[in-house]
Amino acid sequence: MTNPATEKVPFKTPHLAVEIAGVRFKNPVLTASGTFGYGLEFADLMDLNSIGGIVVKGLSMAPIKGNPPPRIYETSSGMLNAIGWQNIGATEFITKKLPLLRNYDTNIIVNIVGFELNEYLEVARFLNDCPGIKALELNISCPNVHKGGFHYNKDPKDTFTITAETRKASPRLPLWVKLSPNVTDIREFAKACEDAGADALSVVNTFIGMAIDIEKRQPRLRFRTGGLSGPAIKPIALRMVWEVCQAVKLPVIGIGGIAGTEDALEFLIAGARAVQVGTANFYRPDTSQRIALGLQEYCRSRHIDDINEIIGSLRNYE
Amino acid sequence: MLDKKVKVKDVRGLGSDNYLMTVSTPEQARLVRPGQFIMLKCVEDIDDNPLLRRPFTIFNIYRQARSGKPAGLELLIKDVGYGTHKLVQTRPGQTLNCLGPQGRGFQVSAEMRNRTEMGVLIAGGVGIAPLYLLAQSLMAHNVKPVLFYGSSTVEGLVLREYFERLNVEIHYATEDGSFGERGFITQPAAQFLKAHGQKNIRIYTCGPWAMMKAVHLLAVQYNLPCEVSLEARMGCSLGACLGCVVRSRDHHGEEQYLRVCQDGPVINSRLIDWDTVPL
Repeated sequence: MTNPATEKVPFKTPHLAVEIAGVRFKNPVLTASGTFGYGLEFADLMDLNSIGGIVVKGLSMAPIKGNPPPRIYETSSGMLNAIGWQNIGATEFITKKLPLLRNYDTNIIVNIVGFELNEYLEVARFLNDCPGIKALELNISCPNVHKGGFHYNKDPKDTFTITAETRKASPRLPLWVKLSPNVTDIREFAKACEDAGADALSVVNTFIGMAIDIEKRQPRLRFRTGGLSGPAIKPIALRMVWEVCQAVKLPVIGIGGIAGTEDALEFLIAGARAVQVGTANFYRPDTSQRIALGLQEYCRSRHIDDINEIIGSLRNYE
Repeated sequence: MLDKKVKVKDVRGLGSDNYLMTVSTPEQARLVRPGQFIMLKCVEDIDDNPLLRRPFTIFNIYRQARSGKPAGLELLIKDVGYGTHKLVQTRPGQTLNCLGPQGRGFQVSAEMRNRTEMGVLIAGGVGIAPLYLLAQSLMAHNVKPVLFYGSSTVEGLVLREYFERLNVEIHYATEDGSFGERGFITQPAAQFLKAHGQKNIRIYTCGPWAMMKAVHLLAVQYNLPCEVSLEARMGCSLGACLGCVVRSRDHHGEEQYLRVCQDGPVINSRLIDWDTVPL
Protein backbone atom coordinates (compact mmCIF):
# COMPACT_ATOMS: atom_id res chain seq x y z
CA MET A 1 0.00 0.00 0.00
CA THR A 2 1.26 3.44 -0.81
CA ASN A 3 0.73 6.29 1.51
CA PRO A 4 -1.17 9.04 -0.37
CA ALA A 5 0.47 11.67 1.80
CA THR A 6 3.98 10.76 0.74
CA GLU A 7 3.27 9.49 -2.75
CA LYS A 8 4.87 11.66 -5.37
CA VAL A 9 2.50 13.36 -7.74
CA PRO A 10 3.61 12.32 -11.22
CA PHE A 11 5.20 15.18 -13.13
CA LYS A 12 2.62 16.62 -15.45
CA THR A 13 2.88 19.75 -17.54
CA PRO A 14 -0.38 21.66 -17.28
CA HIS A 15 -2.21 22.29 -20.49
CA LEU A 16 -2.05 26.03 -21.13
CA ALA A 17 -3.37 26.20 -24.68
CA VAL A 18 -6.55 28.14 -25.42
CA GLU A 19 -8.60 28.55 -28.56
CA ILE A 20 -9.95 31.83 -29.83
CA ALA A 21 -12.16 31.80 -32.92
CA GLY A 22 -10.65 28.59 -34.23
CA VAL A 23 -7.06 29.65 -33.62
CA ARG A 24 -4.97 27.77 -31.09
CA PHE A 25 -2.70 29.76 -28.77
CA LYS A 26 -0.03 27.78 -26.90
CA ASN A 27 -0.82 29.82 -23.82
CA PRO A 28 -3.20 32.70 -23.06
CA VAL A 29 -0.52 35.39 -22.80
CA LEU A 30 -0.20 37.91 -25.61
CA THR A 31 1.35 41.34 -25.90
CA ALA A 32 -0.86 44.36 -26.51
CA SER A 33 -0.75 46.49 -29.61
CA GLY A 34 1.37 49.61 -29.33
CA THR A 35 3.40 48.29 -26.41
CA PHE A 36 5.50 45.69 -28.19
CA GLY A 37 6.41 47.35 -31.48
CA TYR A 38 6.52 44.76 -34.23
CA GLY A 39 7.75 42.15 -31.73
CA LEU A 40 11.28 41.98 -33.07
CA GLU A 41 12.37 44.88 -30.84
CA PHE A 42 12.07 42.49 -27.87
CA ALA A 43 13.77 39.45 -29.40
CA ASP A 44 17.05 40.06 -27.52
CA LEU A 45 15.31 40.46 -24.18
CA MET A 46 12.95 37.50 -24.04
CA ASP A 47 11.99 34.32 -25.88
CA LEU A 48 9.27 35.31 -28.33
CA ASN A 49 8.41 31.61 -28.70
CA SER A 50 7.33 31.49 -25.07
CA ILE A 51 4.09 33.44 -25.47
CA GLY A 52 0.78 32.73 -27.14
CA GLY A 53 0.82 35.68 -29.46
CA ILE A 54 1.94 39.15 -30.41
CA VAL A 55 -0.51 41.89 -31.38
CA VAL A 56 1.61 44.23 -33.46
CA LYS A 57 1.45 48.02 -33.49
CA GLY A 58 -1.66 49.36 -35.23
CA LEU A 59 -1.18 49.32 -39.00
CA SER A 60 -2.69 51.50 -41.65
CA MET A 61 -2.31 50.97 -45.40
CA ALA A 62 0.00 53.98 -45.82
CA PRO A 63 2.53 54.95 -43.13
CA ILE A 64 1.34 57.44 -40.49
CA LYS A 65 3.68 60.01 -38.96
CA GLY A 66 1.91 60.32 -35.63
CA ASN A 67 1.37 63.21 -33.23
CA PRO A 68 3.90 65.92 -32.38
CA PRO A 69 5.73 65.42 -29.07
CA PRO A 70 5.48 65.37 -26.11
CA ARG A 71 3.62 62.09 -26.55
CA ILE A 72 3.99 60.33 -23.21
CA TYR A 73 3.88 61.26 -19.54
CA GLU A 74 4.13 59.02 -16.50
CA THR A 75 1.47 59.25 -13.80
CA SER A 76 0.94 57.32 -10.56
CA SER A 77 1.10 53.61 -11.43
CA GLY A 78 0.45 54.38 -15.05
CA MET A 79 1.26 56.45 -18.07
CA LEU A 80 -0.50 58.67 -20.56
CA ASN A 81 0.22 58.37 -24.25
CA ALA A 82 -0.91 60.15 -27.37
CA ILE A 83 1.27 58.59 -30.06
CA GLY A 84 -1.26 59.05 -32.82
CA TRP A 85 -0.82 55.81 -34.76
CA GLN A 86 2.73 56.32 -36.01
CA ASN A 87 3.42 53.17 -38.05
CA ILE A 88 5.37 51.96 -41.04
CA GLY A 89 2.32 50.98 -43.10
CA ALA A 90 0.98 47.54 -43.98
CA THR A 91 3.17 46.98 -47.04
CA GLU A 92 6.43 47.56 -45.21
CA PHE A 93 5.20 45.41 -42.34
CA ILE A 94 4.46 42.54 -44.70
CA THR A 95 7.73 42.79 -46.61
CA LYS A 96 10.19 43.73 -43.83
CA LYS A 97 8.81 42.62 -40.46
CA LEU A 98 6.45 39.70 -40.96
CA PRO A 99 8.99 37.40 -42.70
CA LEU A 100 11.27 37.75 -39.64
CA LEU A 101 8.40 37.37 -37.18
CA ARG A 102 7.33 34.15 -38.87
CA ASN A 103 10.57 32.53 -37.69
CA TYR A 104 9.05 32.47 -34.23
CA ASP A 105 6.53 29.96 -32.99
CA THR A 106 3.89 32.42 -31.83
CA ASN A 107 0.68 33.79 -33.30
CA ILE A 108 0.80 37.16 -35.04
CA ILE A 109 -2.29 39.32 -34.74
CA VAL A 110 -2.43 42.61 -36.60
CA ASN A 111 -4.16 45.61 -35.08
CA ILE A 112 -5.64 47.77 -37.85
CA VAL A 113 -6.38 51.50 -37.82
CA GLY A 114 -7.86 54.11 -40.14
CA PHE A 115 -9.12 57.67 -40.19
CA GLU A 116 -12.08 56.72 -42.41
CA LEU A 117 -14.10 53.53 -42.85
CA ASN A 118 -12.55 52.97 -46.28
CA GLU A 119 -9.07 53.04 -44.84
CA TYR A 120 -9.94 50.29 -42.37
CA LEU A 121 -11.46 48.20 -45.15
CA GLU A 122 -8.49 48.71 -47.46
CA VAL A 123 -5.97 47.45 -44.93
CA ALA A 124 -8.30 44.60 -43.85
CA ARG A 125 -8.61 43.47 -47.49
CA PHE A 126 -4.87 43.69 -48.00
CA LEU A 127 -4.01 41.68 -44.89
CA ASN A 128 -6.70 39.07 -45.56
CA ASP A 129 -4.47 37.52 -48.22
CA CYS A 130 -1.21 37.63 -46.27
CA PRO A 131 -0.07 34.29 -44.90
CA GLY A 132 1.33 34.31 -41.39
CA ILE A 133 -1.35 36.47 -39.81
CA LYS A 134 -3.72 34.66 -37.45
CA ALA A 135 -6.31 37.37 -36.78
CA LEU A 136 -7.09 41.05 -37.18
CA GLU A 137 -7.78 43.31 -34.23
CA LEU A 138 -10.00 46.20 -35.24
CA ASN A 139 -8.90 49.32 -33.38
CA ILE A 140 -11.96 51.50 -32.90
CA SER A 141 -10.89 52.63 -29.47
CA CYS A 142 -7.75 54.73 -29.83
CA PRO A 143 -8.45 58.07 -28.11
CA ASN A 144 -5.49 59.90 -29.65
CA VAL A 145 -6.68 60.77 -33.14
CA HIS A 146 -9.09 63.43 -34.36
CA LYS A 147 -10.79 61.11 -36.86
CA GLY A 148 -11.35 57.35 -36.90
CA GLY A 149 -10.45 55.22 -33.90
CA PHE A 150 -12.55 56.04 -30.86
CA HIS A 151 -14.99 57.93 -33.05
CA TYR A 152 -16.38 54.55 -34.18
CA ASN A 153 -16.86 53.57 -30.55
CA LYS A 154 -19.23 56.37 -29.51
CA ASP A 155 -22.47 54.96 -30.87
CA PRO A 156 -23.15 51.19 -31.02
CA LYS A 157 -24.68 51.68 -34.50
CA ASP A 158 -21.33 52.93 -35.86
CA THR A 159 -19.55 50.10 -34.08
CA PHE A 160 -21.93 47.63 -35.73
CA THR A 161 -21.35 49.13 -39.19
CA ILE A 162 -17.57 49.16 -39.11
CA THR A 163 -17.43 45.67 -37.62
CA ALA A 164 -19.81 44.23 -40.23
CA GLU A 165 -17.97 45.95 -43.09
CA THR A 166 -14.54 44.83 -41.88
CA ARG A 167 -15.89 41.32 -41.43
CA LYS A 168 -16.86 41.33 -45.13
CA ALA A 169 -13.56 42.88 -46.23
CA SER A 170 -11.49 40.21 -44.55
CA PRO A 171 -13.46 36.94 -44.71
CA ARG A 172 -10.47 34.64 -44.16
CA LEU A 173 -9.20 36.07 -40.86
CA PRO A 174 -10.87 35.96 -37.46
CA LEU A 175 -11.89 39.47 -36.48
CA TRP A 176 -11.29 40.77 -32.99
CA VAL A 177 -12.63 44.17 -32.01
CA LYS A 178 -10.73 46.22 -29.44
CA LEU A 179 -13.20 48.19 -27.37
CA SER A 180 -12.94 51.53 -25.65
CA PRO A 181 -13.63 51.87 -21.93
CA ASN A 182 -14.65 55.51 -22.45
CA VAL A 183 -18.35 54.71 -22.79
CA THR A 184 -21.33 54.60 -20.45
CA ASP A 185 -22.05 50.90 -20.91
CA ILE A 186 -19.43 48.80 -22.67
CA ARG A 187 -21.87 45.88 -22.96
CA GLU A 188 -23.89 47.69 -25.63
CA PHE A 189 -20.80 47.94 -27.81
CA ALA A 190 -19.85 44.33 -27.14
CA LYS A 191 -23.31 43.23 -28.28
CA ALA A 192 -23.10 45.40 -31.39
CA CYS A 193 -19.84 43.65 -32.32
CA GLU A 194 -21.33 40.24 -31.67
CA ASP A 195 -24.37 41.06 -33.81
CA ALA A 196 -22.11 42.35 -36.59
CA GLY A 197 -20.14 39.11 -36.81
CA ALA A 198 -17.02 39.77 -34.73
CA ASP A 199 -15.16 36.66 -33.58
CA ALA A 200 -13.64 37.98 -30.36
CA LEU A 201 -13.36 41.14 -28.26
CA SER A 202 -10.26 42.79 -26.85
CA VAL A 203 -11.27 44.59 -23.66
CA VAL A 204 -10.09 47.35 -23.10
CA ASN A 205 -8.10 50.11 -24.74
CA THR A 206 -6.79 53.07 -22.69
CA PHE A 207 -8.81 55.45 -20.56
CA ILE A 208 -8.79 59.09 -21.64
CA GLY A 209 -6.79 61.12 -19.15
CA MET A 210 -4.82 64.30 -18.72
CA ALA A 211 -1.87 65.79 -16.85
CA ILE A 212 -0.86 69.44 -16.59
CA ASP A 213 2.49 71.13 -16.07
CA ILE A 214 1.73 73.65 -13.32
CA GLU A 215 4.72 75.85 -14.16
CA LYS A 216 3.95 76.20 -17.85
CA ARG A 217 0.20 75.72 -17.26
CA GLN A 218 0.23 73.51 -20.31
CA PRO A 219 -0.99 69.96 -20.81
CA ARG A 220 1.88 67.49 -20.42
CA LEU A 221 0.93 66.06 -23.81
CA ARG A 222 0.75 68.16 -26.95
CA PHE A 223 -2.46 66.32 -27.91
CA ARG A 224 -3.71 67.64 -24.53
CA THR A 225 -5.37 64.38 -23.53
CA GLY A 226 -3.98 60.88 -23.77
CA GLY A 227 -4.74 57.26 -23.07
CA LEU A 228 -4.07 56.11 -19.52
CA SER A 229 -2.60 52.62 -19.18
CA GLY A 230 -0.71 50.60 -16.59
CA PRO A 231 -1.56 49.11 -13.19
CA ALA A 232 -3.65 52.20 -12.34
CA ILE A 233 -6.44 51.05 -14.68
CA LYS A 234 -6.47 47.35 -13.79
CA PRO A 235 -9.49 47.23 -11.45
CA ILE A 236 -11.67 49.15 -13.91
CA ALA A 237 -10.52 47.08 -16.88
CA LEU A 238 -11.15 43.90 -14.91
CA ARG A 239 -14.68 45.00 -14.06
CA MET A 240 -15.35 45.76 -17.72
CA VAL A 241 -13.99 42.40 -18.87
CA TRP A 242 -16.25 40.69 -16.35
CA GLU A 243 -19.25 42.71 -17.55
CA VAL A 244 -18.58 41.92 -21.21
CA CYS A 245 -18.12 38.22 -20.43
CA GLN A 246 -21.59 38.22 -18.89
CA ALA A 247 -23.15 40.08 -21.81
CA VAL A 248 -21.88 38.20 -24.88
CA LYS A 249 -20.85 34.70 -25.91
CA LEU A 250 -17.77 35.83 -27.81
CA PRO A 251 -14.34 35.03 -26.43
CA VAL A 252 -12.86 38.02 -24.60
CA ILE A 253 -9.19 38.95 -24.42
CA GLY A 254 -8.55 40.89 -21.22
CA ILE A 255 -6.31 43.95 -21.27
CA GLY A 256 -5.55 46.65 -18.73
CA GLY A 257 -2.66 47.01 -16.32
CA ILE A 258 -1.56 43.39 -16.38
CA ALA A 259 1.94 43.29 -14.96
CA GLY A 260 2.19 39.90 -13.28
CA THR A 261 0.79 36.38 -13.06
CA GLU A 262 -1.79 37.28 -10.43
CA ASP A 263 -3.17 40.06 -12.63
CA ALA A 264 -3.48 37.67 -15.56
CA LEU A 265 -5.24 35.08 -13.38
CA GLU A 266 -7.79 37.64 -12.20
CA PHE A 267 -8.75 38.38 -15.79
CA LEU A 268 -8.95 34.68 -16.68
CA ILE A 269 -11.10 33.91 -13.65
CA ALA A 270 -13.36 36.84 -14.60
CA GLY A 271 -13.90 35.11 -17.93
CA ALA A 272 -11.17 36.27 -20.29
CA ARG A 273 -9.99 33.55 -22.67
CA ALA A 274 -6.59 35.21 -22.91
CA VAL A 275 -4.83 38.37 -21.77
CA GLN A 276 -2.63 41.01 -23.33
CA VAL A 277 0.29 42.57 -21.49
CA GLY A 278 0.78 46.25 -22.29
CA THR A 279 2.60 48.98 -20.39
CA ALA A 280 4.58 46.48 -18.28
CA ASN A 281 6.51 45.54 -21.45
CA PHE A 282 8.10 48.98 -21.30
CA TYR A 283 9.68 48.67 -17.88
CA ARG A 284 10.10 44.88 -17.75
CA PRO A 285 10.48 43.70 -21.34
CA ASP A 286 10.08 39.99 -20.52
CA THR A 287 6.87 40.43 -18.48
CA SER A 288 4.78 38.31 -20.88
CA GLN A 289 7.23 35.41 -20.75
CA ARG A 290 7.29 35.61 -16.96
CA ILE A 291 3.49 35.51 -16.85
CA ALA A 292 3.35 32.49 -19.16
CA LEU A 293 5.74 30.69 -16.83
CA GLY A 294 3.84 31.93 -13.80
CA LEU A 295 0.56 30.51 -15.12
CA GLN A 296 2.20 27.14 -15.59
CA GLU A 297 3.51 27.24 -12.04
CA TYR A 298 0.11 28.28 -10.68
CA CYS A 299 -1.63 25.38 -12.41
CA ARG A 300 1.01 22.87 -11.41
CA SER A 301 1.07 23.87 -7.76
CA ARG A 302 -2.72 23.74 -7.53
CA HIS A 303 -3.06 20.52 -9.55
CA ILE A 304 -4.98 22.19 -12.35
CA ASP A 305 -4.46 20.14 -15.51
CA ASP A 306 -5.88 22.62 -17.95
CA ILE A 307 -5.93 26.42 -17.81
CA ASN A 308 -9.39 26.35 -19.37
CA GLU A 309 -10.67 25.12 -15.99
CA ILE A 310 -9.83 28.52 -14.58
CA ILE A 311 -11.39 30.63 -17.31
CA GLY A 312 -14.68 32.09 -16.15
CA SER A 313 -14.49 30.19 -12.88
CA LEU A 314 -15.44 33.18 -10.72
CA ARG A 315 -17.46 32.04 -7.72
CA ASN A 316 -20.22 33.96 -6.05
CA TYR A 317 -20.51 34.44 -2.31
CA GLU A 318 -23.01 32.07 -0.71
CA MET B 1 21.94 45.41 -25.28
CA LEU B 2 21.57 43.64 -21.97
CA ASP B 3 19.03 43.83 -19.16
CA LYS B 4 20.93 43.43 -15.90
CA LYS B 5 20.51 43.86 -12.19
CA VAL B 6 23.31 46.23 -11.29
CA LYS B 7 24.69 47.11 -7.89
CA VAL B 8 24.94 50.74 -6.80
CA LYS B 9 28.53 51.37 -5.84
CA ASP B 10 28.43 55.05 -5.00
CA VAL B 11 26.18 58.10 -5.19
CA ARG B 12 28.22 61.26 -4.83
CA GLY B 13 26.64 64.70 -4.52
CA LEU B 14 28.18 67.29 -6.84
CA GLY B 15 26.11 70.26 -5.68
CA SER B 16 23.19 71.99 -7.43
CA ASP B 17 21.11 68.78 -7.27
CA ASN B 18 23.66 66.93 -9.39
CA TYR B 19 24.98 63.50 -8.51
CA LEU B 20 27.53 61.11 -9.92
CA MET B 21 26.25 57.58 -9.56
CA THR B 22 28.50 54.58 -10.05
CA VAL B 23 26.99 51.18 -10.75
CA SER B 24 28.85 47.88 -11.08
CA THR B 25 28.11 46.13 -14.36
CA PRO B 26 31.20 44.86 -16.20
CA GLU B 27 29.33 43.19 -19.07
CA GLN B 28 27.43 46.34 -19.97
CA ALA B 29 30.48 48.56 -19.42
CA ARG B 30 32.39 46.58 -22.04
CA LEU B 31 29.79 47.37 -24.73
CA VAL B 32 29.56 51.14 -24.31
CA ARG B 33 30.29 53.54 -27.14
CA PRO B 34 30.45 57.34 -26.59
CA GLY B 35 27.02 58.96 -26.58
CA GLN B 36 25.05 55.85 -25.63
CA PHE B 37 22.71 55.62 -22.65
CA ILE B 38 21.17 53.12 -20.28
CA MET B 39 17.60 52.80 -18.97
CA LEU B 40 17.67 52.64 -15.21
CA LYS B 41 14.83 51.71 -12.89
CA CYS B 42 14.84 54.34 -10.14
CA VAL B 43 13.81 52.00 -7.31
CA GLU B 44 14.83 48.45 -6.32
CA ASP B 45 11.45 46.76 -6.82
CA ILE B 46 10.63 46.77 -10.51
CA ASP B 47 6.88 46.88 -9.83
CA ASP B 48 7.15 50.04 -7.70
CA ASN B 49 6.60 53.60 -8.83
CA PRO B 50 7.95 55.22 -10.85
CA LEU B 51 7.10 52.47 -13.29
CA LEU B 52 9.08 53.56 -16.29
CA ARG B 53 12.85 53.44 -16.27
CA ARG B 54 14.70 56.67 -16.90
CA PRO B 55 17.33 57.19 -19.61
CA PHE B 56 20.79 58.32 -18.49
CA THR B 57 23.77 59.04 -20.69
CA ILE B 58 26.87 57.12 -19.78
CA PHE B 59 29.33 59.72 -18.53
CA ASN B 60 32.26 57.40 -18.00
CA ILE B 61 33.27 53.78 -17.78
CA TYR B 62 34.41 52.89 -14.31
CA ARG B 63 37.44 50.59 -14.43
CA GLN B 64 39.00 48.12 -12.06
CA ALA B 65 41.89 49.76 -10.24
CA ARG B 66 44.36 46.99 -10.84
CA SER B 67 43.53 45.53 -14.24
CA GLY B 68 41.99 48.59 -15.85
CA LYS B 69 39.17 46.40 -17.16
CA PRO B 70 35.67 47.93 -17.48
CA ALA B 71 33.78 47.29 -14.24
CA GLY B 72 30.83 49.64 -14.31
CA LEU B 73 29.29 52.89 -15.37
CA GLU B 74 29.41 56.45 -14.07
CA LEU B 75 26.19 58.37 -14.60
CA LEU B 76 25.55 62.07 -14.15
CA ILE B 77 22.12 62.46 -12.60
CA LYS B 78 20.29 65.71 -11.99
CA ASP B 79 17.53 65.48 -9.40
CA VAL B 80 14.69 67.05 -11.38
CA GLY B 81 11.61 65.02 -10.48
CA TYR B 82 10.03 62.05 -8.82
CA GLY B 83 12.11 59.39 -10.57
CA THR B 84 15.52 61.01 -10.30
CA HIS B 85 14.78 61.97 -6.69
CA LYS B 86 14.17 58.32 -5.80
CA LEU B 87 17.25 57.30 -7.73
CA VAL B 88 19.71 59.61 -5.98
CA GLN B 89 18.40 58.36 -2.63
CA THR B 90 19.52 54.79 -3.36
CA ARG B 91 22.37 53.53 -1.21
CA PRO B 92 25.51 51.58 -2.10
CA GLY B 93 24.73 47.88 -2.22
CA GLN B 94 21.20 48.29 -3.53
CA THR B 95 20.40 46.73 -6.89
CA LEU B 96 18.61 48.36 -9.81
CA ASN B 97 17.44 47.09 -13.20
CA CYS B 98 19.59 48.50 -15.96
CA LEU B 99 18.95 48.08 -19.69
CA GLY B 100 21.55 48.95 -22.28
CA PRO B 101 23.76 50.29 -23.61
CA GLN B 102 21.16 51.78 -25.92
CA GLY B 103 21.01 54.04 -28.93
CA ARG B 104 23.29 55.47 -31.58
CA GLY B 105 26.21 57.37 -30.14
CA PHE B 106 28.57 59.89 -31.72
CA GLN B 107 30.09 59.16 -35.10
CA VAL B 108 33.75 58.68 -34.34
CA SER B 109 35.57 56.60 -36.90
CA ALA B 110 39.07 55.71 -37.93
CA GLU B 111 38.52 57.75 -41.10
CA MET B 112 38.55 60.91 -39.02
CA ARG B 113 42.21 60.40 -38.18
CA ASN B 114 44.27 62.96 -40.10
CA ARG B 115 41.12 64.34 -41.77
CA THR B 116 39.33 66.03 -38.89
CA GLU B 117 41.57 68.53 -37.18
CA MET B 118 39.40 69.37 -34.25
CA GLY B 119 36.27 68.34 -32.40
CA VAL B 120 34.46 71.31 -30.90
CA LEU B 121 32.40 70.09 -27.93
CA ILE B 122 29.74 72.47 -26.64
CA ALA B 123 27.94 71.61 -23.40
CA GLY B 124 25.28 73.34 -21.34
CA GLY B 125 24.92 72.17 -17.73
CA VAL B 126 24.36 68.43 -17.42
CA GLY B 127 24.70 68.31 -21.20
CA ILE B 128 28.34 67.65 -20.31
CA ALA B 129 27.36 64.00 -19.69
CA PRO B 130 27.99 62.43 -23.13
CA LEU B 131 31.08 64.49 -23.92
CA TYR B 132 33.67 62.93 -21.62
CA LEU B 133 33.76 59.55 -23.36
CA LEU B 134 33.60 61.41 -26.67
CA ALA B 135 36.61 63.59 -25.80
CA GLN B 136 38.64 60.48 -24.94
CA SER B 137 37.55 58.77 -28.11
CA LEU B 138 38.50 61.77 -30.24
CA MET B 139 41.93 61.89 -28.62
CA ALA B 140 42.38 58.20 -29.32
CA HIS B 141 41.70 59.00 -32.98
CA ASN B 142 44.22 61.82 -32.97
CA VAL B 143 41.53 64.51 -33.13
CA LYS B 144 41.95 67.47 -30.79
CA PRO B 145 38.92 68.14 -28.59
CA VAL B 146 38.15 71.72 -27.60
CA LEU B 147 35.48 72.00 -24.91
CA PHE B 148 33.07 74.88 -24.43
CA TYR B 149 31.25 74.39 -21.15
CA GLY B 150 28.57 76.76 -19.92
CA SER B 151 26.08 76.94 -17.11
CA SER B 152 24.03 79.54 -15.29
CA THR B 153 26.46 79.56 -12.33
CA VAL B 154 29.80 78.01 -11.45
CA GLU B 155 28.05 75.35 -9.34
CA GLY B 156 26.50 73.97 -12.50
CA LEU B 157 29.88 73.35 -14.15
CA VAL B 158 30.02 69.86 -12.73
CA LEU B 159 32.73 67.28 -13.41
CA ARG B 160 34.92 69.81 -15.20
CA GLU B 161 37.94 68.38 -13.35
CA TYR B 162 37.61 65.24 -15.49
CA PHE B 163 38.23 67.29 -18.63
CA GLU B 164 40.95 69.34 -16.98
CA ARG B 165 42.74 66.08 -16.19
CA LEU B 166 42.57 65.15 -19.88
CA ASN B 167 44.52 68.33 -20.56
CA VAL B 168 42.16 69.50 -23.27
CA GLU B 169 41.56 73.13 -24.22
CA ILE B 170 38.53 74.35 -22.25
CA HIS B 171 36.49 77.55 -22.43
CA TYR B 172 33.98 78.28 -19.70
CA ALA B 173 31.05 80.66 -19.50
CA THR B 174 28.47 81.31 -16.80
CA GLU B 175 25.41 83.47 -17.12
CA ASP B 176 26.16 85.22 -13.82
CA GLY B 177 29.86 85.59 -14.61
CA SER B 178 30.89 83.52 -11.57
CA PHE B 179 33.31 81.49 -13.69
CA GLY B 180 34.76 81.99 -17.15
CA GLU B 181 33.16 84.40 -19.54
CA ARG B 182 29.90 86.08 -18.55
CA GLY B 183 26.97 85.04 -20.73
CA PHE B 184 26.01 82.09 -22.86
CA ILE B 185 28.64 79.54 -23.86
CA THR B 186 27.63 79.97 -27.48
CA GLN B 187 29.31 83.40 -27.49
CA PRO B 188 32.93 82.18 -26.98
CA ALA B 189 32.13 79.18 -29.19
CA ALA B 190 31.04 81.52 -31.99
CA GLN B 191 34.22 83.57 -31.64
CA PHE B 192 36.30 80.42 -31.76
CA LEU B 193 34.55 79.17 -34.89
CA LYS B 194 34.96 82.56 -36.51
CA ALA B 195 38.70 82.30 -35.94
CA HIS B 196 39.02 78.62 -36.88
CA GLY B 197 36.00 78.08 -39.11
CA GLN B 198 38.12 77.33 -42.14
CA LYS B 199 39.57 74.26 -40.50
CA ASN B 200 38.21 70.78 -40.74
CA ILE B 201 36.11 70.83 -37.58
CA ARG B 202 33.26 68.65 -36.31
CA ILE B 203 30.86 70.04 -33.72
CA TYR B 204 29.26 67.97 -30.97
CA THR B 205 26.74 69.45 -28.57
CA CYS B 206 24.44 68.58 -25.71
CA GLY B 207 22.43 70.86 -23.45
CA PRO B 208 19.24 72.87 -23.34
CA TRP B 209 17.22 72.93 -26.56
CA ALA B 210 17.78 76.67 -27.15
CA MET B 211 21.54 76.24 -26.76
CA MET B 212 21.67 73.28 -29.14
CA LYS B 213 19.61 75.21 -31.65
CA ALA B 214 22.07 78.13 -31.44
CA VAL B 215 24.97 75.71 -31.93
CA HIS B 216 23.20 74.15 -34.92
CA LEU B 217 22.85 77.61 -36.48
CA LEU B 218 26.57 78.23 -35.95
CA ALA B 219 27.32 74.90 -37.66
CA VAL B 220 25.18 75.96 -40.61
CA GLN B 221 26.83 79.40 -40.72
CA TYR B 222 30.33 77.88 -40.85
CA ASN B 223 29.26 74.88 -42.92
CA LEU B 224 30.48 72.39 -40.35
CA PRO B 225 29.03 68.97 -39.48
CA CYS B 226 27.21 68.98 -36.15
CA GLU B 227 25.89 66.16 -34.01
CA VAL B 228 23.50 66.79 -31.15
CA SER B 229 22.74 64.48 -28.24
CA LEU B 230 19.03 64.73 -27.46
CA GLU B 231 16.98 64.18 -24.35
CA ALA B 232 13.38 62.93 -24.32
CA ARG B 233 10.82 61.38 -22.03
CA MET B 234 11.21 57.74 -22.88
CA GLY B 235 8.95 54.75 -22.34
CA CYS B 236 10.90 51.70 -23.41
CA SER B 237 14.16 52.70 -25.22
CA LEU B 238 13.51 49.82 -27.61
CA GLY B 239 11.78 51.75 -30.37
CA ALA B 240 8.45 50.19 -29.45
CA CYS B 241 6.44 52.84 -27.62
CA LEU B 242 7.26 55.71 -30.03
CA GLY B 243 7.00 58.12 -27.11
CA CYS B 244 10.41 59.80 -27.39
CA VAL B 245 10.24 61.28 -30.86
CA VAL B 246 11.69 64.50 -32.24
CA ARG B 247 10.35 66.19 -35.36
CA SER B 248 12.59 65.84 -38.36
CA ARG B 249 12.72 66.05 -42.16
CA ASP B 250 13.56 63.16 -44.44
CA HIS B 251 15.65 63.44 -47.62
CA HIS B 252 12.70 64.78 -49.58
CA GLY B 253 11.95 67.43 -46.96
CA GLU B 254 8.96 65.45 -45.74
CA GLU B 255 8.15 65.74 -42.06
CA GLN B 256 8.83 62.63 -40.02
CA TYR B 257 9.44 61.72 -36.39
CA LEU B 258 12.71 60.16 -35.30
CA ARG B 259 12.88 58.04 -32.17
CA VAL B 260 15.44 59.54 -29.82
CA CYS B 261 16.04 56.06 -28.32
CA GLN B 262 16.93 54.20 -31.52
CA ASP B 263 17.51 56.78 -34.26
CA GLY B 264 19.40 58.81 -31.62
CA PRO B 265 20.11 59.97 -29.02
CA VAL B 266 22.88 61.48 -31.16
CA ILE B 267 21.45 62.91 -34.38
CA ASN B 268 22.81 65.04 -37.21
CA SER B 269 21.62 68.55 -36.30
CA ARG B 270 20.49 69.21 -39.88
CA LEU B 271 17.83 66.49 -39.65
CA ILE B 272 16.05 68.17 -36.75
CA ASP B 273 13.16 70.60 -36.96
CA TRP B 274 14.46 73.13 -34.44
CA ASP B 275 11.20 75.05 -34.34
CA THR B 276 9.35 72.21 -32.59
CA VAL B 277 10.51 71.86 -29.00
CA PRO B 278 9.91 68.22 -28.06
CA LEU B 279 9.84 68.50 -24.27
